[in-house]
Amino acid sequence: MVMSLVIWIAALTLATGTLVLFLRRALWRTYPFLLAYVIWLIIGNSALLIGFRFFNSVYTSLYWHSDTVDVVLRFLVVWEVFHQTFPKGSGLNRSLSKGLGIAAFLLLVFACATFWGYQNYTNLRSIHMALDRSFDFVQAVMILGTLLMARYYGVLFGRNVRGIALAFGGWVSISTVNSAMVDLTNSFLPYWYYLRPLSFLVMMVAWIWALWVYEPNPPILESGATELNQWTEDWNRTVSAARTIIRP
Amino acid sequence: MINLVLFTVLGLGLFGSFILIALRDSPRSLPDTSAIHAVGQIINLEGSSFANARRLFDDTDYQVLCSNPDLRRLAERLRHDRKQLALTWLSLLQNDLLTLWRFRRFLIQRGVPSSLGEELRTVQALVLSLLLLQFIRVSIHTAGPFALPRATRQAGQLVDSMSKGAALVLGRIPVAGWAEIERSWVSSAA
Repeated sequence: MVMSLVIWIAALTLATGTLVLFLRRALWRTYPFLLAYVIWLIIGNSALLIGFRFFNSVYTSLYWHSDTVDVVLRFLVVWEVFHQTFPKGSGLNRSLSKGLGIAAFLLLVFACATFWGYQNYTNLRSIHMALDRSFDFVQAVMILGTLLMARYYGVLFGRNVRGIALAFGGWVSISTVNSAMVDLTNSFLPYWYYLRPLSFLVMMVAWIWALWVYEPNPPILESGATELNQWTEDWNRTVSAARTIIRP
Repeated sequence: MINLVLFTVLGLGLFGSFILIALRDSPRSLPDTSAIHAVGQIINLEGSSFANARRLFDDTDYQVLCSNPDLRRLAERLRHDRKQLALTWLSLLQNDLLTLWRFRRFLIQRGVPSSLGEELRTVQALVLSLLLLQFIRVSIHTAGPFALPRATRQAGQLVDSMSKGAALVLGRIPVAGWAEIERSWVSSAA
């Protein structure tokens, strides 16, 4: 009881600290989606804390409902990471957005399908556990995919986005394992009560560290139209030369 | 049941991947390419500009000469010459490292922002690099230039990383001020 209260107050304090950082360093201009999620964290955690202390009868229902909203709003973080890594208007965004959009859609379908599995509806807790693990998993895959794509194309990360992405990815991965383990064996339940909120605290600390200094992703350097045309011509010439050699 | 086990395993795999990325791609601020170029212009790095270090420590010629008993003496002369060249190159690299370190101190003395942690890391990197160069020097003295070819060839990278560190600091001041920095550096070095 006391431990839960301490975790809650710590979570609320850290979320408020993050909000203060956003406002003091004007980070909200650069990371508006993340700010929206942080505001939600403050509102959601405050409501839960009030429910926990004063309205015990509605607390369980409030917890799971806020968790459902949280699952959806976490996509704001995923979107922020993607949008910062492949900014709108960049060549990489133009080339990849369609394919990645389809991949994201397929992942969402996968999440819905695993959530919809009838075996999940044995009791109320399992529904939310299924929702958590399905969407946590998909969100972790989306973040990891963005990081790997960025690495593949040599996109550089600043401290802000890198810290946010890694901490969030780590947290949703732990959450996936956590919610699967609880349904797998009930003996894991006592750990679940602490592991998830404690990993959330670690994520919040990492976010504060990442946002402490304003260091956005360096801009992606793109070649000019003339340079690109020249490069395309050279490339086409190389391809036709190679074809001539292969099939003289 | 199977899907729960799968989620557990995949979740652990994902968590491991994030940890791995966090550890392997630890954030190092990368200097601007123009700043790296400017450092190369301001400071004359004699050791790192030597392009044939790989050839210097390649023992193919030596082995070819050794295979012929009549050319053994020539092989020994080649080995001796290479040893002298390698030692000279290592001295130049050592000078480059110290010059880059002085340049970095010069920039910070002129008010370019840095942190104590960054400075300590730089000193640590410098000390380790100098120790490694000394170790390579001793190995060349005792075992010849072909004993540790890989480590010796990579000695040039020590200067490159130090140069990037200096470029990172230089990049913190506007490009317009670089010419003034160059003038002051030249006059202070004279």
